[in-house]
Parts: sequence; C-alpha cells; structure tokens
Amino acid sequence: MNCQSQITQNIPPRTLARRWFLKECGIGLGSIALGQLAGISAARASTDPIAPKQPQFTPKAKNIIFLFMAGAPSHLELFDFKPDLVEFDGSLPPPELLTGYRAAFIKPNSKLMGPKFKFGKHGTCGAEISELLPHLAQVADDITIVRSMTTDAFNHAPAQLQMSTGSQQFGKPSLGSWTLYGLGSECNNLPGFVVFNTGKKGPSAGSANWGSGYLPPVYQGAPFRTVGDPVLYLSNPPGISRELQRDSLDVINNLNQRHFEEFGDPEIEARIRSFEMAYQMQATAPEATDLAQEPQHILDLYGAEPGARSFANSCLLARRLVERGVRFVEIFHEAWDQHGELVKDIQQNCLDTDRAAAALVTDLKQRGLLEDTLVIWGGEFGRTPMVEGDNDDGRDHHPNAFTMWMAGGGTAPGLTYGETDSLGFNVVRDKVHVRDLHATILQLLGLDHSRLTYKSQGLDQRLTGVEEAHVIKGILA
Amino acid sequence: MKDFRRQCELFSRVTPCGRSLCPTLFFCFGLIVVPSWCLSASRLESDETSISYSKDIRPILSDNCFHCHGPDPSTREADLRLDLWDSENESGANSVITSGEPETSELINRIFSEDAYEQMPPEESGKSLTEEQKLLLKKWVQEGAAYEKHWAFEAPVRPVVPSVSDESWVSNPIDAFVLARLESEGLQPSPAAKPLALLRRLSLDLTGLPPTIEEIDQFQQQETEHAYEFALDRLLASPHFGEKWAREWLDAARYADSDGYEKDLPREVWMYRDWVINALNKDMPYDQFIVEQIAGDLLPKPTQSKQIATGFMRNSMTNREGGIDPEQFRMEAMFDRMDAIGKSVLGLTLQCAQCHTHKYDPLTHTDYYRLFAFINNCDEAEIAVYTKEQERQRQQVFQKMEEIESELKRKNPDWKSKMAQWEESLTEHDSKWIIVTPDVDSSGGQKHYLLEDGSILAQGYAPPTQNSDFKAQVDLPKITGIRLELLNDPNLPRGGPGRSSTGLCALSEFKVSAEQKDNPQEKVELKFSHATANVNPEKQEVLNNKDGDSKEVKAIGPIALAIDNDESTSWGIDVGPGRSNVPREAVFTLEKPLECNSLTQITFSLKQSHKDKQSEPLHTFNLGRFRFSVTSASDPAANPIPKSVREVLRIPINERTAKQVDQVFGYWRTTVPTWKEANSGIEAAWKQYPEGESQLVLHEREQARKTCRLDRGSFLSPAEEVSPGVPGFLHPMEFDSPDRLDFARWLADPRSPTTARVLVNRIWQSFFGMGLVETSDDFGLQGTPPTHAELLDWLAVELMENNWRQKHIHRLIATSSTYRQQSVTTASLKRRDPSNHLLARGPRIRLDAEIVRDVALSASGLLNRTLGGPSIFPPAPEFLFVPPASYEVKPWPYVDGEEQYRRSLYVFRFRSVPHPVLETFDAPSGNVSCVRRSRSNTPLQALTTLNEPLFIDCARALAERALELETQSDRERLTYAFRRCLSRLPHEEELAALLEFLNQQKNAFSQSSSDKTQLVGTKMDQSGTSRVSLDPAKFAAWTAVSRVLLNLDETVTKE
Repeated sequence: MNCQSQITQNIPPRTLARRWFLKECGIGLGSIALGQLAGISAARASTDPIAPKQPQFTPKAKNIIFLFMAGAPSHLELFDFKPDLVEFDGSLPPPELLTGYRAAFIKPNSKLMGPKFKFGKHGTCGAEISELLPHLAQVADDITIVRSMTTDAFNHAPAQLQMSTGSQQFGKPSLGSWTLYGLGSECNNLPGFVVFNTGKKGPSAGSANWGSGYLPPVYQGAPFRTVGDPVLYLSNPPGISRELQRDSLDVINNLNQRHFEEFGDPEIEARIRSFEMAYQMQATAPEATDLAQEPQHILDLYGAEPGARSFANSCLLARRLVERGVRFVEIFHEAWDQHGELVKDIQQNCLDTDRAAAALVTDLKQRGLLEDTLVIWGGEFGRTPMVEGDNDDGRDHHPNAFTMWMAGGGTAPGLTYGETDSLGFNVVRDKVHVRDLHATILQLLGLDHSRLTYKSQGLDQRLTGVEEAHVIKGILA
Repeated sequence: MKDFRRQCELFSRVTPCGRSLCPTLFFCFGLIVVPSWCLSASRLESDETSISYSKDIRPILSDNCFHCHGPDPSTREADLRLDLWDSENESGANSVITSGEPETSELINRIFSEDAYEQMPPEESGKSLTEEQKLLLKKWVQEGAAYEKHWAFEAPVRPVVPSVSDESWVSNPIDAFVLARLESEGLQPSPAAKPLALLRRLSLDLTGLPPTIEEIDQFQQQETEHAYEFALDRLLASPHFGEKWAREWLDAARYADSDGYEKDLPREVWMYRDWVINALNKDMPYDQFIVEQIAGDLLPKPTQSKQIATGFMRNSMTNREGGIDPEQFRMEAMFDRMDAIGKSVLGLTLQCAQCHTHKYDPLTHTDYYRLFAFINNCDEAEIAVYTKEQERQRQQVFQKMEEIESELKRKNPDWKSKMAQWEESLTEHDSKWIIVTPDVDSSGGQKHYLLEDGSILAQGYAPPTQNSDFKAQVDLPKITGIRLELLNDPNLPRGGPGRSSTGLCALSEFKVSAEQKDNPQEKVELKFSHATANVNPEKQEVLNNKDGDSKEVKAIGPIALAIDNDESTSWGIDVGPGRSNVPREAVFTLEKPLECNSLTQITFSLKQSHKDKQSEPLHTFNLGRFRFSVTSASDPAANPIPKSVREVLRIPINERTAKQVDQVFGYWRTTVPTWKEANSGIEAAWKQYPEGESQLVLHEREQARKTCRLDRGSFLSPAEEVSPGVPGFLHPMEFDSPDRLDFARWLADPRSPTTARVLVNRIWQSFFGMGLVETSDDFGLQGTPPTHAELLDWLAVELMENNWRQKHIHRLIATSSTYRQQSVTTASLKRRDPSNHLLARGPRIRLDAEIVRDVALSASGLLNRTLGGPSIFPPAPEFLFVPPASYEVKPWPYVDGEEQYRRSLYVFRFRSVPHPVLETFDAPSGNVSCVRRSRSNTPLQALTTLNEPLFIDCARALAERALELETQSDRERLTYAFRRCLSRLPHEEELAALLEFLNQQKNAFSQSSSDKTQLVGTKMDQSGTSRVSLDPAKFAAWTAVSRVLLNLDETVTKE
C-alpha cells in the first residue's frame, strides 16, 4: 500500500489526507516491532529519507538522550578524586607532564590545585562521586562512569565540534544526524532529532553542533524550546484558526495533487506529505511538550516547572519525546567553563543539572525505557589540575583527560571504567578517545561505525573518520 | 614478475585494511542510487563499442582497489599500484595483467577466486565486486587492457558535433549531443514546454525572480518566436542576473557576514558580495574573475575593486575564542582556502591530500603543500574601502585641502626656503631611544607575538579587559623616560594600530616598575612627572552600555588620562576617519631618573580596561602593535612629527618626490602660527572625510613565510620545506619563482584540464538541477563520470573560445531545445531515468532557499529591488540571537520598513545562527565551500511558508494586489493573483477549487469577529493607507487564498 495508489483514487482530499496519514504515517510506529517496519512503510522508505530503517545488527539502544555539558565540567571536582592533587596543592606539576602541552589561558607551568569538594562512595558498586552530585550518587548503580575520556582540541569550538561530529573541522554531520541517517525516525509528527539549549549561552560554533554536514539536510537537528512555540513557526499566524489551516491545506494539497497528476514528479507527493506532517506536528508538538500533563511527583522528581526555560524541563521533555519515537534528543547546557569562580559556579551548575539528570535515569528506568534509551552526560574536554587565576579558584581547558557517564541502552550499569594518573592529568588505563565513544554509541544502536558511511568528496565518509576507532567493549552490558 | 599472490596473502593477514571504507549500505536505502546511465549490463551485452578504461574500468578499480593499490604509499599494500600501467618504483598494473589474456592475469584470477586468502578485494576491506564488474574487468583484459589517462586530467578539445536522425529538433550543438545520446538509448525528447512555463523557468534561472505581470503581458503580445529571444536578452541584461548567479558563487566562496566559530562576530565583507554581483552583471571573463579573486592585489594596478575581489580568499572563518593559538586557526583558514579553490575552481578534492597523499587522484601530500605555498605568504588584512558616494566625498576632501594648500603656497612663494629653515631647526629625537625587547605575556587569552623590530603584535581573542605585563632586561645606567610606540600592521583592522573594528585603541593606564638584578626583592614602581604624545584628542565621555542599563561613564582623551590612576579614563588616538590609522607615540617622563647599578628588569604594564567601550561589538580597544623604548636623555618628550613625515625628512631635500615634499608641507604648515585660518580650513575639510566600509582582503607579505609539508596535516608537525609548484598531472607552470599571481593565472589557464569544465558544469547544474558531472566538486577519479562527456568538453571549449564569457554559455543553454523541453515525468521516463540524467525532459526543481523567499516577495509586490549595500535584517525570531540559543547576544537590528523586503541574498548571514527561513530551505551556512546544495522536502519547510511572518505579510500584500484590481469579478482577481505566483493561467478546476475556498473563507470570516482583523492586521500599506479600509472579512478571505497560492508546490518550484 502506498500513498500514490490511494491518492489517485479520487477521494476528497481532506478525507484522503486524514485517512492516508493515519494509515501510512500513523502515530505510534514506535510501538510496532522493528521487524515489521520494513514491510509497513516500504513505500515511505523508498521516498522518505527519514523512514525507519533496520539497524545493521540487533541493537541495544533505540534512542539517545545526550546531555552535552558544554564549556567542559571539571572532572577533578565531580568524578575523578585525586588524593595526590590534595597533597601537592600549590606545588608545580612534574615537568615531564608538560612536554609539548599547550594550554589555552594559563602558563602550563602553573601550580597544582587540589579538588575543591569532597567525594564519597555510592551505591553497591561503590562509585566515587563528588558531594556536588547527590542525586546522581543515588543512581550510581545505574550508570557507567568513564574516567578515561580524551580528546584532541583544547578550545571550545573545535572540541565541541569534535564531540558533536567527530571532527574539529566544520562541515561534518553530527552524531544525531548520523543516527537519523542510519536508523531513520519512528516518529512522523515530530522531528527525529531534537535539540535544546538550556545553559548560560549557546554552544560554541552554534548550529554546526547539530548540523547534517555533508549528509542530506533532512538529518539535521531541529532546535526545540521549552517556552513559546516548541518548534519555529509551529503556531498558526494570528487570525488563522486550526480549521482554516486544515481548509487551506486541503486546497493546497488538492491543487498539488492535480499538478502531480499532470507532471508526475514524486517531489510533489513528498510536498503533500510534508504539509500533512506539518499539520500533524502542529497538534502533536504542543502536546508532546506540554509539561502540565505530567503529575506533580514527576515534575518534582526532575525539579521541572511548566513554562520555565530550564535544564530540568528539557530533561523531562527529552523523556516525553523519546516516548513518542524521537530518535535523538540533545540538550546543550553551556555553563561549565570555570576559568574563575570555580567553586561558586560549579555548585550552581550542579544545582541546575544534577537533580534532573539523575531523575531522567530514574524515570526512564521506572518506565522500562532505560533499556533501549542511552543517556550520555559529558562535556568537550576536562579541566587542568593546575590552577588558573590568582584566587585559587579556576581551572583551564584540558583535553588529555575527562569524565563522562552513560546510562541504559546496553551499557554496563554500576561500572567505573578507566583511570587517570594520580593528578588526573593523563589517562593511564583504558583510554577512550572521542571516536571510540562514537564507535561505541553507534554499536549500541546496532550500527557498525566502519560500515555506516556516506559518500562525499569521493570518499566513504564516516563519523569516526580515518583514524582507528574501537568499540569500548568494557562498558557494554 | 613479483609474486603477487604471496604478497597479497601477507597483506591480507597483516592488515585489517580499510574496513572503514565499505560502500555497502543496508537495506532499502533510497540515497545511493546506481546511476542508470552508468555501465550496467548493457556495457557487457553490447559488442558495438569496446570497453573504455576511463568510463567503465577505472571507476571499479578506484572504488575497490586504489585505497590499498593506489597513489598513497602510506596505505599501499604489496608494493602494487593499479592506478598506473607501469611504474618505475613499484609494481604497476602490468605486473598482474597480461593484455589479451585474462586466464594468465593474476588480477583476474584473484577477483574470481573463492579462496578467502586469495580473493581480491579481501573480505575485511569491506569492498566487493559484483559479478558484472568482474566480467567487465575480464572482458577489458581480453580486449587488451588499455589504460587511459583520467578523462578530466586532459585538457578538453572541441569534439565533433554528432549527427542525429531528427535534425529538426537541434537548435544548437547542445541538442545534437543530447539527442544523439537519447537516440542511442531509444528515447525521444519531450515536447517543448508551454511558452509561459518557459518564460517563468527562464526568469527564475537567469534572475531568480518570476516574471512580473507586465513582463508576462509583454511576452504574450510579442510574436512567439521572438518573444523568447527578447525575454532572454532582457533577462541576461537585468541587474538581477548578477544577484541570482552571485548567490551560487557565494556558496562556493563560503560567503557569510560573521566570522564563525564560537564568538561568530559580525564582519564587514559585503563589498565583496557586491563585487561578485557586479562582475557577473558585467560578464567579466571567468579567467579574470578567478585571477582577481585569488591575486587581485598583485595585479599591476590593484584598484580598490581588485583588492576587494581577494575577499574570496578571506571568507574563511576566524576563531576569536579566548586562549586560542592564532597560528592554528590561520592554518585552518589556509586549509579552507585550499578546499574552496579545489571545489570551486579546479573541481578536485584537494583537501584529501592535506594529511596524506590522495587515495585516488595522483595528488601527493607534497603537491598539496606546494600549492599551499602559493597562498601562504599573506597577511590577514582588513582595509577601509569606499562606496562610490564615499569615494566622491573623499575626493572632495582631498580637493579642498589641495586648494587651501595651493593657495598657501601661492601666497607664500618663499615657502620652500622657509620649510627648509624649519627642517634645519629640528632636533633628532629618535636616536636617543633604545628599543627594548621584552618577553611576551602569554596569559589572559590574547596572544602576543614578538616581531623582529622589537614590537609586539596582539592577535587572537581580544578581551574587553586586558592587563598585560611585559618584562625586559635593560642595561642602562640611567633611565629618564619610557616611550610607547603604536605601530601599524597589515594584520590589524585597517592597519591598526589598534584592534577595534576601525583599527583604533585606547590605553587606560600605563605603569612601569623596575627591579635591580642584584636586588630583585625591591621592586619599585616608577613615578611619572608627566607624559606627552603626538596625538591628544579632546576628552570625550562615552557610555559603557553593554547591557543597556549600565550607567558607567568612561572617557577617552589626551595622554594624561593614561597616568591619572583612573582606569575608567583612557588615552585615545581617534582624530576622525582618514587619519587615525597611523603610527603614534607617547613618552612618559620619570619624576626622577632611575639610576641603575646593575642589569635592571623593567616591567611595562598595559591596563586596557575597555569593556564594551562605544558599544563596539567587534573588538575591544586593545593596542594592536606596540613597542617599548627607554632613554637617558634629559627632558624626553614625544616627537610631534608624524612617523611618515620623519621618514621623508631623512631623504635629502633634492631627492624627494613631489608627493614627499607635499607630505612634509602638510605637517609643516600646521606649525606655522600665522596660517591658523588655512589650517582650520583643512581641519574642517577632514571632518567631511567618510568613515568608509571595511573589507577583508589579502596582503602579500614582504618577508616570505616558510611553507613546509605538514605531517598528518598538523601545523605542529612541519616536515621538509616545500617551494611553490603545481602537481605533475595537471598542466605545467613555466615560471622560475612563481608567486600567487602566477598561481591564479595558472588556475585560469586555457590549458587547465578542469577549470573551464568545472564552470560550465556548474552552470549546467544550475539550469538542470544536476551537472553533466554530478559530483560538481569532484572531477577526480572518485567523481561520477560525465553523462555527456563530449557535450561537457564542447561547452568548455566554447566558453574559452568566447573569452570565458559566462553569459555566452547561459545563452546557449537557454536557446537549446534540450532546455526548452517540458518537465513532465511520464511513467516510462520515471522508470527508465528517474533522475533525468539522459535529459529526455526539462528540469523540475524546488527553488533555492533565497529564491523561495524572493518569489513570495515578488509575487506579492513587496519586493524591494535595490541592489547591493550592507546586509539587511528582515524579521527573525529574537530569541535566536540571544543566549542560550546563541553563544552571545548577536545584533539583529530589524526595522519594519522597505529594507526587509529586499532580496534574500542580502539577508545578514551569521554562520552559527543562520536565518531560519533560509536554513530550513537548505541554504548552506558558509562554514565550508559548497558548490552543490542539497534539497530537502520537510514539514518544517511547510510550517515556514505557512506561518512565518514575512510569508504572511506577502499573503496580505498579494491579497491587496488582487483587491486593487479594477474589476468586480473574483474570478479575474484570482486569476491575477494566480498569475503573479505561477505566471500561467489557472485551469478551470484550479480556479473552481480556489473560488470555493475563497467563498468559504468569506463566509467564515464574516461570521467571526476577531480572526479577520488579527489576520489582516492594522499595518499601513506602502502608500500609508491603512489596510483596514478594506472590508476586513473580504481582505482576510483574500489573504487566506493568497496564502494558499504562495504555498503551492509549483510556486516554490522551477518547472
């Protein structure tokens, strides 16, 4: 069954459109087993680049929620406790560590600075987590902490691009775009890749972080907001009622259909479909983003308040969107660049994010969604064990080592993976480069990073680039 | 012959090979389509033509074999190259192929082998050959295994125009090539499109605007055969031609109005955009077009226009993030320039050779850096440029000054001897100063470079507050004064000496402290008795209002403000446009001389506490290039004579040029007390001097920069030095020590195998939606083979033989029968050639983002056709330009007025926050060069044209146009509105559907009270009449039906 055969049956367009939409592009495809998808929307798949696609092998995760802590949180204050750094506070780092080391703002040969907060062991797994993250500590047994992350860039824009797209250069597709390209979207009435910005400012390099690069632009992320229209131009203009919108679409589709019959260009069919999906989205997006529908105890769990612009609201929305089949949700919370006022600002950032991030894990788990939803938390690099500024209250950018955590989607719960040296300067065990992280994420989605390719500029391009990348088997469940 | 089998066994065990490069995609993927015209079974079945290496074989080898057996030695296996027949240093293809004998050819045996150890390509490479490909290779070996040079690497020669059976269809040779192909495929061309469809198609193609009603009427009144030609002439001559085609080149030139990366600050480059529009309107020969953009500054007479042209190279992004290494991002910009030249001029994926030798094309890693060396000798300059009006104003100022000075000279015939007397009375200041070379301060985000003359250049992030300490060892028994010089540098805006957008700067406080080497504990701050400077603007208060609510008052003024212990007051250098970007100096006289009995460490502290002084959005007022000196002379003071005049004074009087004499006179007259009136006349003239615009340009360095091959493309890993040169597989360059201009001329040389082909292909792509070579950015071995190779060559030669005039190609295409076919996709054509590679029908393509918006503006009559000028700010959601959507607050000074209705090519382009309407319709962001846009079809596009405020504005205006019509008939009004959008007349059914909708809405609106006024608003129309004077229900219904028209697929499509 396909759109065209129905459309040509001379059914009044409004009836047709509605019937077609329900049957062909029906809501709730997410609830249909993957195996059935190919058959059901074969017609859509052949013309629609974001139709659901089979993964290359059985996936562990279907959806991703990436909490991008842009600006780069300090691993030394949050996850990577270093007694030696306490001991050597105020002394200079060993010179051999600094060979070839480039720093952004400080002179590399600056004094070491001990962690500013206490750590404790949490959960039955005994994960070491800072006192700044009391809520995360409560889900310690559900998350995988990777302390051995490393990256190449030490400035925000290139490092964020590397985390987002695998490359420090512009023009490359984002992780979310690759995911959508590889798996398509099970949701027709919402974009398959949704982006929120909740921090003090937008991410460095802006929309390139969720851009589609050389992939077709249908795969790029759609920015959503937690106040006003969730999607740009979603609301009808003043004076256009929903009924008038429907009537308008009917006559637009009718004329387009007539024109299609004369010109035979499949693009016209696709346009009809786009208009119908837009109309559906006008209903579903406000519903999907209406936090007032959530019971008070869930709002409290996240610390969410309907109508507010907050990280907490975005986390709760992320869950609601994933429930509705959105493939990839990314929340950029750019706030972690603590060159100075480390103590005050990191406390505030943790107040702003800890409860909601932990709540997301709890909530997904209690709904049975954590099994196939991968939650990722982390920034673009770490912070220097050396001090920045005269007040003993700041750290500079540090690409050599940082920490991320993941939950669900086939990651091993209650695990702390990898290790840095006694100063938290370099990774000494189980190093995870950004491209290894990317390879692992794709693996969990049922995609082989070396086989998920797109031809551009004469090459079969891939997220992980030309350097070797390894799936981190140690963190898989 | 080497034991290929053994070697391959070895490699298949040792290397996992490029598993990464697997082309196989999983199921039902509608994206990678095997081109229907490409080889396929018919190549095997037909015995008529022999197999072509270029067309049939190399694509297979390139895709499946060259990664390990190609040009790049770093990934080469078994020392075997299959990209060459024979090779001096390695085994060529002849070591594994015996011509005419597939049975004894190792290559054939290996590809047919079922043994996992023998099989090529090995399984772990992720590559595999289809049975068809294997048979094709075998047949090719059977036929003699002829190798050919890659088609695109041999200069095009004019091919013979083929003969066809239906000659009546051939309007010009384009059609002969197309028809010959169609006939060979057993296909027929489609009938010609209807005249009005053609007129709309042609108008959109040539100007990006649909025809107006008047143009349609005129077209219909003329005789059909001439009407099209008249329209063609008119459109080719239209100033909108340049706008339409400039937009395409601006994609390739990665044009944007901001500098990208984190801060993504606005930059002034629109004069370059206008340069492109003008060049295309004038039909500047393409070779000249390229030469000026790559080396216009090096041409014999580098006029302002030629300098602006080099903005092409400077459209690269600039990272102003704190703490960057500026050299790292200069290199990123260089890679970007190489990429842009590769994609847009050469049609080669140059950047593939940035880290290693190209995997497919014969471009070595060294070749890349030899090309790189041509363009690596530039400063990142930003100059003042002037519009025509500003230039006129400048000339008036110069003329006025010239008149006053001539008058002075006329009235004082002895001026020469008086000036000489004055000169003799001067004392030499400069020799008393000893330049000190400090360590550079590396903290605080701004980066400092120590230059050879002891000066310091500030680059990278320019923080709003920058306090820097510069320490230097001074070996002088006594110090009486300190001199701070501010110097020009091409890398500063307008040459500096400061870092503001106009090259200005200000110094809040200057402090100096000293510590004796033998007594480092005792650091003393030196006190100044007074300070002098050769510029002392009047004190002016400026409001520091970054947040709009700050009332902090700051002041800029004379040098005393730099030593008043008040950081809110600064020494400034702004004496108005035209004469502020010159070297300056200040001298700080010590209260009592510093007696030094040993080596002394002096710390010079610059306090630059500007925040957002003068709401300067771009840079702060930090010093750009400066130098410290000390003296032990008594009563040190700043030399009032400008540096440029001092330089002339060093030349013996009788050796000076007239201009130099004038320069001295220009200063000397200011010292003559009795010439006060004349001097104030000149001062008054200066006040009229225009500020001008800024433009990023190239500026060749005097001292050549060394270029090295960079290991893995990392600027931290320079390998051997390379000299400028061109790759051997392209045409040669016959110069001994070639420079960037030679390189530019080489690029645009008629012998270049790709340059002309790449251009005509891009023009073709614009007309037909797809190039004759689909990968218009890649004519290399991995590019798609041309669908009509001879046609491509014919057009390329035609271009060059017609003095590289692009409009000649436009005219040829527009007058071809191929172009004029109707764009109906019949069922059989859809099956046979879904993507229209064979051109058996006309193009039908969704318009580019800018044109989607322009069509709405044009159809509604709102379009403001003003050409050129600074970029505009049409309505856009405000939240996009403030955090957290945007990194920082971005200025978006939307003003409701005519400006918002200008063409979309003028919409201000922030790279990190593209205008949502344009982004949604796939306009590239300008981050990287783009010569082939993607086209998506999404619900977000539908929401945009349905709901975006400007589109609603257009719907209202279109309704007004229809209602203005002097008729009572809704049919006529609707027909009129329909024609404004689609040019053609509506079919009866269409009209009926629209009329029904209109009547329905009239009813609905007349029953509801609130909706209609909301929809039609209370806005005044262009003549200042309130639109509400129209019957609101009627107006609202017409707005609704106009909105329908603007949202039709056909409206946003060229067909």
